Amino acid sequence: MSTLTASTRRPLFPRGPGLGLKALALCLLALGAILTDSRSQTLTPVRDGLTWLLQPVLWVAGLPAAVAGTAEHLQTRESLLEENNVLRENQLLLQSRLEKLAALEMENSRLRELLASSSQLEERVLIAEILSASQDPYRQQIVLNKGARDGVYKGQALVDAQGVLGQVISVNPATSVALLLTDPNHGIPVEINRTGLQTIALGRGDGQSLSLPYLPGTADVKVGDLLVSSALGGRFPAGYPVGEIRELKHDTGEHFMEALATPAARLNRGRQALLVWSESFPMEQPPAAPAETPAGPP
Amino acid sequence: MSGRVPRLMIALTLLVALILQLFELPYTLAVLRPLFVPLVLVYWVMVVPQPTGLLTAWIVGLMLDVLLGSVLGQHALGLTVVVFVTLQLRGILSLYPIWQEALALTPIWLLYTFLMFWIDGATGHRADPWLQWLPLLTTGPCWPLMFALMGSLHRRNQPDSLVL
Repeated sequence: MSTLTASTRRPLFPRGPGLGLKALALCLLALGAILTDSRSQTLTPVRDGLTWLLQPVLWVAGLPAAVAGTAEHLQTRESLLEENNVLRENQLLLQSRLEKLAALEMENSRLRELLASSSQLEERVLIAEILSASQDPYRQQIVLNKGARDGVYKGQALVDAQGVLGQVISVNPATSVALLLTDPNHGIPVEINRTGLQTIALGRGDGQSLSLPYLPGTADVKVGDLLVSSALGGRFPAGYPVGEIRELKHDTGEHFMEALATPAARLNRGRQALLVWSESFPMEQPPAAPAETPAGPP
Repeated sequence: MSGRVPRLMIALTLLVALILQLFELPYTLAVLRPLFVPLVLVYWVMVVPQPTGLLTAWIVGLMLDVLLGSVLGQHALGLTVVVFVTLQLRGILSLYPIWQEALALTPIWLLYTFLMFWIDGATGHRADPWLQWLPLLTTGPCWPLMFALMGSLHRRNQPDSLVL
């Protein structure tokens, strides 16, 4: 009986084309893909197609987080009322500040007109929902539910209520992927609010700190200084908080010192983010951002 | 032998492994996440030692590349190498009891992690050089667990795992 089944299952080539040969071919194919993908954009359509096919997997993988999110909806009436009161008070406070801001904004724009400067304070924004976050702890990326259809473009800045979150690195029709500030491949031009010193903040890859490696040894920086985004490089709108200096490292005799900063934005905690249209570069594709390493996979 | 294990089951368990590899965890747990996809692939290669495992590994690797946003081909290469090595060493590995097998498989996980580390470096993606090795600690202990779980799924009445 067993011999019969064995003979019917006899393969065309008794031993196949060699295990090693097959493995070698597949490895070479993979190496080819790695080389092509890391140097050019040729494979982008393949990636986009596969991403589209694998949407259900991403959706299922996002379910646990979504369930945890719905648990937040089940709240008692008391807690909602309390929250409502707090929000009302907050709103009143912000409203009064906003009135003052409106006056200041008018004054500022008049002054800027006098200086013949074209910069504007108001920016176009769009609220995006964060679909999934950091699937791999070494690549700090998030997926947003707004894409090319909503006018999102590659390189667009992303902020939340507390500060700058990161920037968009790839755009699909209905979704887009953003790289967070703390990714080791991310750099952002910043300004130290107190002194106006311009420098660059790089991600450290641990999800909770930024590093400022290019500070001159004599720079006037203190622990607690606020970092705000700078318009240098044209990618980020100026003036959004980026982080706060947490630690200074200066080895005696070195020409440069390094500072560590805590990001201001609530990375990996919120469910929403704001996409900001930078006035100066609405369309131009590769703006010469000094801090841009080729931002990860396209 | 392959007829006994439905392809559908292999595909389903690989899908579950992909999801386990992806779903959101707090940062401290995420760095310890076991290498689910290589675990499940190696398990199936030990049970069904056929060259098609190579192609499966390659395709699953490409899917993982897309899902994790890494360079296309990175995980495909790693998983193909892992499956090839497992196919070569299967004869020796299957002689051990399960807990020794779990230990004996460690060099394979090490090889996989090293390949990922190396390709990350070669393509200019800086990752934390120390944290990347942490999943090795959790992957080993997962092997006996997974062996028991998967065994109960498909090997109800087939005491023939030594036939081939």
